[in-house]
Amino acid sequence: MSAQMFFIGFFGLAAVWFGIVVFRTFSMVRSALALLFSQTALGAMFLSMQAEFLGVLQIMMMATEMSIMAIFMVMFMMDPGGLGEMDMTHQKRLSLIAGLVSFVGAVAVAVFADWGPAASVVPDAAQQTVDLGLELLGRSMLIFETAGITILTAMIAATAVAIQSVTRSNEHGH
Amino acid sequence: MTSVLILLLLALGAYLVAVLEAWIASGHLSLATPMLAGIALLGRESIVPRKPDRIFFEVGPVLLLISALLAAVVVPLTPNLIITDLATGALFINAALVYVLVALLMAGWGPDGAYAMVGGWRFLGQLIAYAMLIVMPITAVAMRAESLLTTQIVVSQAGLWNIVYQPVGFALFFVAAMALAFLPPFDLPTATGELAGGVEAEYSGVRLAVLRLGRLVLIITLAAATVVFYLGGWQGPWLPPWAWSALKILAVTATMLLAGRAMPRIREADLLAWCWKLGIPLALLNIFLVGVLVLVFP
Amino acid sequence: MIVGARQGTMTRLRRLVSVSMAREFSTFLIPGPDIARAHGLDIAAAGIQLSASPRHASALLVIGAVPPAMLKAAVVVYAQMMRPRAIFVLGAEDISPLPSADIATGLSQQDLIEGMHQLRTLFAEGAFRPDMSDFDAPVLQTRIEYTCPMHPEVVQSEPGSCPKCGMTLMPRQAQATTGHNHTNHKEVDATANEQTVSSHDHKHHHSMAHDAPTKYTCPMHPEVVQSEPGSCPKCGMTLVPREALATQTHELADMDHGSMDHGAMAFMSMIDVTQDLPRSIDGLPMEWIEVPFGPFFPGLPGGLLLMLTLDGDTVAASDAHTLIENNDFPSGEPMDIASFAEHLTGMDPLVPVSYRLLACRALENAAQVDVFADIARARIGAQERERIASHLGWLALFGRQTGFDWLMRRAASLQLKVQNADFQQVVALRPEITVLMKRLHWTPLLKSRTVGIGRLVSDAKLRGPVARASGICEDARSKDKIYEMLGFTSAVGQGGDAFSRLHVRLEEIFHSLALIEAAGAIALPVPATIGNESGKGEAVVESPRGMARLELTLENGRVSAAQLDTPSTHHLTLIDQLTEQQELADALLAVGSLDLSPWEIQQ
Repeated sequence: MSAQMFFIGFFGLAAVWFGIVVFRTFSMVRSALALLFSQTALGAMFLSMQAEFLGVLQIMMMATEMSIMAIFMVMFMMDPGGLGEMDMTHQKRLSLIAGLVSFVGAVAVAVFADWGPAASVVPDAAQQTVDLGLELLGRSMLIFETAGITILTAMIAATAVAIQSVTRSNEHGH
Repeated sequence: MTSVLILLLLALGAYLVAVLEAWIASGHLSLATPMLAGIALLGRESIVPRKPDRIFFEVGPVLLLISALLAAVVVPLTPNLIITDLATGALFINAALVYVLVALLMAGWGPDGAYAMVGGWRFLGQLIAYAMLIVMPITAVAMRAESLLTTQIVVSQAGLWNIVYQPVGFALFFVAAMALAFLPPFDLPTATGELAGGVEAEYSGVRLAVLRLGRLVLIITLAAATVVFYLGGWQGPWLPPWAWSALKILAVTATMLLAGRAMPRIREADLLAWCWKLGIPLALLNIFLVGVLVLVFP
Repeated sequence: MIVGARQGTMTRLRRLVSVSMAREFSTFLIPGPDIARAHGLDIAAAGIQLSASPRHASALLVIGAVPPAMLKAAVVVYAQMMRPRAIFVLGAEDISPLPSADIATGLSQQDLIEGMHQLRTLFAEGAFRPDMSDFDAPVLQTRIEYTCPMHPEVVQSEPGSCPKCGMTLMPRQAQATTGHNHTNHKEVDATANEQTVSSHDHKHHHSMAHDAPTKYTCPMHPEVVQSEPGSCPKCGMTLVPREALATQTHELADMDHGSMDHGAMAFMSMIDVTQDLPRSIDGLPMEWIEVPFGPFFPGLPGGLLLMLTLDGDTVAASDAHTLIENNDFPSGEPMDIASFAEHLTGMDPLVPVSYRLLACRALENAAQVDVFADIARARIGAQERERIASHLGWLALFGRQTGFDWLMRRAASLQLKVQNADFQQVVALRPEITVLMKRLHWTPLLKSRTVGIGRLVSDAKLRGPVARASGICEDARSKDKIYEMLGFTSAVGQGGDAFSRLHVRLEEIFHSLALIEAAGAIALPVPATIGNESGKGEAVVESPRGMARLELTLENGRVSAAQLDTPSTHHLTLIDQLTEQQELADALLAVGSLDLSPWEIQQ
């Protein structure tokens, strides 16, 4: 029990620390990869909480997503190496207020929400995966399917908006 | 105990991959080549470029090795020889292997060199191409096994290997695995003719040794994953299970290493186009077909 | 003891390491494997492993006489090699500023094999040495200059802040082609600024009216105004005095975008902040970096320095030149026939026979001397044999560039076999060459790799296979009577891209084989005896890369003036057009498909 608490605390602190590094560093790529490792720490937290599928999924998805974010940061921000040491943060007061409000809100939800009785026995990981699958295609099917279709539509729309009209003969060479 | 044994077998496997690669590249079979090359590499000077991103420069090769090792943790060589049989094993392999990308990004950005940087970011484009083609065939394999346990996946192939049951999935997974291990013709990050070594170019000495070792472990892990998912793992008639595993893994490795010598490097634009326009519809078709087969022949 | 040994005493562990190093080490070739093959050296057979990057190489192999500019580049390569490092020179005497060679031999395969053996012994014994001195050379001295990331045209020799925006200047290594780079940026700057000045001019004047001249303000946040210097509370930039900004209308107008209302918190979007940076066609303002590809880049001909300005991995600009200064014809004393022919033969080690033939023909034309038909046919045999060898060499280079290992090895070994073969041996090689062609035909990915890459519009500057692949039916051999007699047909393709060039060269190999079989003999061209003739002569020869023309003046049996026109000189000017806005790999493939020879480029 205590080992589990230790690991949850450790990974939680690691996630917070990496999150702070995101804003403290001048380099855009370091910032993106620090966020990546913050999410990995979150995934490890899930693993310590015995939510195996969720943890593995978090680790897998976030690595890909943050890397793609890294390249977009390199493309759009100047000085991605951070050697110019320019402060890239804006609207500090607004973001501080927004952060505090969200923190208070999250703590309030965590403390005052009715989570139901604590489970004394956690089903083993294989059973969890089976239950998760049944849930996804049973009670929560509508939620996940609509979410999936929405994301797919957003992807296609974003690609279609970004693409320049390229005819087949233009694809290679000029 | 099993962990130590598996790590030793992994080291042996990586060594054999190095021997195979040297054989294919030069035409002479020499069992001592990787060992000599390794010792020579460790004895050479190891320098740091002028203005590196020091953290990335150091962590890149190590992360490559760690990610390959983590993926090998869930691969069973025999029914009892597996370091940890995670309930989400098949998914965990993919999760660990994604960090190959992060490692190459670090190795590309770290040295502050143009060739390495272009090589690193190119690998991101390659990931966008192969990522779906790794995950979707795994989905179809898990569908047949009705579990994500790697041991269960092997057991589910007792009657018929997955390579026959879902050949489209096998083809896609094999190609995607070669792209993940950046083997020719997908060696965009370390292209010799275009980037003079690319991501590897700025490394020397110990770090280069770790980078190359990581790559070898990655190749053998991917070969082992292919064997587990599609070639029936340790199953086979007369020989003991470990012998079958070893034979199959070596055969897959040899095929992966030989395939690339016979063609030029792929264009990145072509790789992305074919994977998304051809590969993903095929992967979806594969899932659909496997679903039908699983329901019709229980 | 090798000169480039590593610091340390020879302990038992280090001895083990040395022995391992002696058995397994990589070599870096100067000027490149193409020159090695041209000199008849079989690198693979000597057990040499080539490395693409000097960092991974332990031995530097200098082959043949290397021009001084290339030696300077070789020094940079040598300095990047990890110790212990050794130098092995074949067929060159003085290689300064490189340190003295550890092994120096003549230029032959036997010498190469013996030398490698000696090199291994040297490594096994002398890889570590207690007394070591560092290696330095004038060309390695770098100058650090300081530049502003947002205004690349601002360059200073000391650290400080940018006079235009106040950012701390970043250190950067001084670049040779700085002028070219900055001109580019200035042009783009001007066009970007012109659009914005008109719309925001009134805004700037409005804000000017209210302020006393001694106030300090932030270039990105004009509403921040202080009486003393400091840094901007919003973004951290050093504040700049108001009057300094007054003269720079265009920069301020750009950065004024965000602050539409005075006093409100200004949010600067990246689009506004990066207004000044040069943009490529897709509109993204990424940092442009200048990357040299060459002069010893794997896949490109050795000696070609290709400076590409990369915008991400797209080529934004290119600048190519050769490191080999072509001292065509030392003006002064006239040269006698034999030495002139030798001089022209030695000019381009990749195609010596073609230039020898060119010299002979021009001399005979000037002296009004004819050669017998059988000698002419034997000369054609030699010329066509060289064409086959040259195209096979290009195929090996193409294989190296595209990572097509099998092609690289096969074409290289075939080239070595063809190069100095006599008539019977060349004819006997036909089946092997046929097998190579067939396998190339069935290679997956080859067509997709090359189709559409490096497309050229038909141009008068094109020559040789490059021209013929674009549909221009130009071939100097079609006007030659003897070629006609031997049944010459020109290989023409459509498309003008790398794929057609590959196929034209493959077809030409077959045509050359047929011509050799028809000619019946192979003999190197020898200048006919001329005596004390005087006159002007000119000749053309279809070298493997295109038509080369020579005009010379004879005075009493000696050559007093000569003018040479080579195909690679024209093709070099095509590189800009070929690489513009292409992805890096496509650009390099396009340059490789031109089959340039840096030895014959005149600049």
